[in-house]
Amino acid sequence: MIARRPLTAIGRRALDGVDAALELGRVAVGTIVGALISYWRGPRRRGEIARQMYFIGNRSLLFVAVTLGFIGMVMVYQTCLLTTQVVDGRGQVGAQFARLLVLDVGPSLTAMMLATRVGAGIAAEIGSMKVTEQIDALRMSGVTPVDYLVVPRFLASVIMTVVLTMFGMAVAWGAGGLTGYYSFQINPRTFFDLSMVAPAHVWLGMTKAAAYGAAIPIVAGFCGLRAKGSSEGVGAATTAAVIGSSFAVLIIDFTISAIGLIIWGAGL
Amino acid sequence: MIELRGVHKAFAGRPVLVDLDLRCDRGEVLFIIGTSGVGKSVTIKHLVGLLRVDAGEIWLDGRRIDALPERAFHAIRRRVAMVFQGATLFDSMTLAENVALPLRKHGRMRAAAALADARRRLDEVGLADFVDRYPAELSDGMRKRGAIARALTLDPEVVLFDEPTTGLDPINARRVDRLIRELADRRGVTAIVVSHDLASIFAIADRIAFLYQGGVRACGTPAEIRGSDDPVVQQFIQGRASGPMETPGF
Repeated sequence: MIARRPLTAIGRRALDGVDAALELGRVAVGTIVGALISYWRGPRRRGEIARQMYFIGNRSLLFVAVTLGFIGMVMVYQTCLLTTQVVDGRGQVGAQFARLLVLDVGPSLTAMMLATRVGAGIAAEIGSMKVTEQIDALRMSGVTPVDYLVVPRFLASVIMTVVLTMFGMAVAWGAGGLTGYYSFQINPRTFFDLSMVAPAHVWLGMTKAAAYGAAIPIVAGFCGLRAKGSSEGVGAATTAAVIGSSFAVLIIDFTISAIGLIIWGAGL
Repeated sequence: MIELRGVHKAFAGRPVLVDLDLRCDRGEVLFIIGTSGVGKSVTIKHLVGLLRVDAGEIWLDGRRIDALPERAFHAIRRRVAMVFQGATLFDSMTLAENVALPLRKHGRMRAAAALADARRRLDEVGLADFVDRYPAELSDGMRKRGAIARALTLDPEVVLFDEPTTGLDPINARRVDRLIRELADRRGVTAIVVSHDLASIFAIADRIAFLYQGGVRACGTPAEIRGSDDPVVQQFIQGRASGPMETPGF
């Protein structure tokens, strides 16, 4: 009997894990199908999509600008410090920084920031609706919760993550250029050099941004829809959404980077 | 009309419903009573597919519904409406938009027509002046009446009420009682009501099912329940703190 209890607990956790994975899959498929139907027929809830675009995009502008700006400054400062220690490679910093920014740092860091702010917001809003039975009331009203709540956020997030990524990259690049100029006397003409950025880098970076923008509302919506109990359950769902969205960003980054390497090889 | 046969339901390994049998006839006002956490709300949520049984069967008008896919429950939810414990009006919609939602989704009405119908129905429950207000701007009683109006928009055959008078003042509570009774008497609507409100229970119930330890301990007319010689039933309906009843958490 004593030996069976831990086994039962392990078994129950394993079943919960399988159940959660299946539920995440259902939310993802439901969201993507709903988005495709929206695209095909024209979005039915334009007002809600616009409201979500404002929440995800406009309300994140300052947050993304400050974060990416400081990261741009720190990266350029540290890189310049390193490159001046052995031989003076300051002339290469701007071009390499632009390549890194477009390929990986810009999309991934913007998405990590959005995973915290947007992911938490989505999970808290949907989680509150879940624990107050509003999700059940939606189902009783003939509404599919994923279609109604997650799809508009998904569409808004895909668009605005791409837009914010471009904005964040521009801010980081500009902040990096200013740091290079004032701290290491790098000529702006030398720093703002896009010769190392290939079209493949732009494709890969923007693909990542769109994929992150898709993943964050799916993961956060899933966490919100699984909220249980009361305010404590909403808190747990919000935490799970931030962790889950951040993990999703890292996994997508790795996956798309690996695919990029397979397609373009060492030339990437 | 509605029948639950040998229903089992557990959450995280903890059994809530154990071999529950219950029947409700057409046009009847059936109250489900029992202590908090005994599974009253869980029972009625099974009837519209918001929860799924672990074992057992649920029948609606001679058709077994417990194993139907989610999509098939859309048609059932047109016929069986539910008023939740909290009013559950959607925060981002006005009162009229809340009431119009089932008309648009279940009834496939256009937004303008659904809104016009919703305004008319809210007028009937005395909320005409509040149709453009958001739920946060309404009192508890108004929200509850709005939620009832929303549940009745599709003229359902069955309405499930989950503690409809909880949080209401005595006057509004009796108004809700009167509404439930009128729905049954005038429109032939079947009402299954989860409640702790003894005044409501004995005023309007046709039958009462008393849930205890996962199953139906007693079921009968208000007079039969009042006259029950079961000490557990008597302890509950007399509201005595001490007695044979085992209540989890105390």
